[in-house]
Amino acid sequence: MSMDFTEFKRRLGAEPRSRDPELIAARDSSSEHREAVIKAELFEEKLERAASLPVPSDLLENIQSVSTSQQVKRPKWWPVAMAASVLIAVGAAGIAWNMSSPGWESVEAYVMDHYRHDGDKVLALAQEGTDADVHAMLARFDLDATPELANIVSLIKYCPTPEGKGIHMILNTEDGPVTVIYMPDIHVTDQEMLVFDAMEALLVDLEHGSAAIIGANTQHIQDYYAVVHDSIVPLPGRS
Amino acid sequence: MHWVNFCKLWSIIPVMSNEDRQLSKFNGLANDYGADLFRYAMWICGNEALAKDLVQETYLRAWKAIDSLKDDKAAKSWLITILRREYARTFERKVPKFTDVETVVVPDDSELEPDDRAEVQLLRQGIMKLAPKYREPLMLQVVLGYSCQEIAAELDISKSAVMTQLFRAREQLKDSLQKDGVTGNVHGLY
Repeated sequence: MSMDFTEFKRRLGAEPRSRDPELIAARDSSSEHREAVIKAELFEEKLERAASLPVPSDLLENIQSVSTSQQVKRPKWWPVAMAASVLIAVGAAGIAWNMSSPGWESVEAYVMDHYRHDGDKVLALAQEGTDADVHAMLARFDLDATPELANIVSLIKYCPTPEGKGIHMILNTEDGPVTVIYMPDIHVTDQEMLVFDAMEALLVDLEHGSAAIIGANTQHIQDYYAVVHDSIVPLPGRS
Repeated sequence: MHWVNFCKLWSIIPVMSNEDRQLSKFNGLANDYGADLFRYAMWICGNEALAKDLVQETYLRAWKAIDSLKDDKAAKSWLITILRREYARTFERKVPKFTDVETVVVPDDSELEPDDRAEVQLLRQGIMKLAPKYREPLMLQVVLGYSCQEIAAELDISKSAVMTQLFRAREQLKDSLQKDGVTGNVHGLY
């Protein structure tokens, strides 16, 4: 017995490419069935074309860098960590963090690598205007933001850091956008400056983790040191 | 075979270390599924930077657990499961409301007529407007080629429910195209 047309349309709409013998047999059972198949195929072609979004040209490279960084940088990390601990011990400089996760040889390398990876794209996204739920996202780290910071965040997203997930945010300031990357469980030498490409980054040591303020103008990013330093605070009841 | 010849033959067979095998397997997964995973991630999170992070995090986890993947045929669903868990973990509190998909420009392909390009753009907007319970199974099917049975297993719902969601998703997309008044052959479809 031929499949009822309503049931046929339902199954065609659910799985147009189905090779189910019952569905295939029903396709030629009437002109109405055949017409429905043609329409479904035309629609499916359009749907597949729409769903096939363009893929970033560096996607494969980024994926493969996962294995490379894990393989190549893991053995290299331990001497760097030891060197860093010596530096801390003598108070000489720079790296005051306890990074167990490999992938970057220093927090400075991470900040530069991260910004080169998607700094410009995130800035561009922020210009499109977004809702930024700063409080909900910081709460994941048992943190909150005071209004001085929360009110000027135009975009916030999670991002990878040497110690797992961190936060990448864009501050909408009078002098233009400023990027801030929050790194949980990493400590840095407070107010250390990095210069790379045409950008500058100011490292901020926080009570819980650290941050990098990144922008094109030294004075501009230094103006936001106090905001970042004082505004990322533990949630009430958490220390 | 003469012993000397056997030794010569053996000497030219490349011996892969375990690390080489892992890397080869990993690169195969990246080549085979990277692009589709990115597209799927775009459709569930709606943002290119986030989708890239999700895919990278997925492959990072896959790399760390590469030895646990015994059956290559299960690789796609293994990766999708990791990605979906990662997405849930990342946005367990709240999904940021910013969407790139609607602004993804359809390439200026000479094979596409202007009407077709408009349809693609409208369909992309329509897909993003679908409720997640419709969009996710639809993209598992259209982007990743999942069957209804496979979608049911991935989403942990019945096959019948999956079929209903897929049917309704397509109906909503057709409705939205008609409502938005796309010209040309689209009207002939319904």
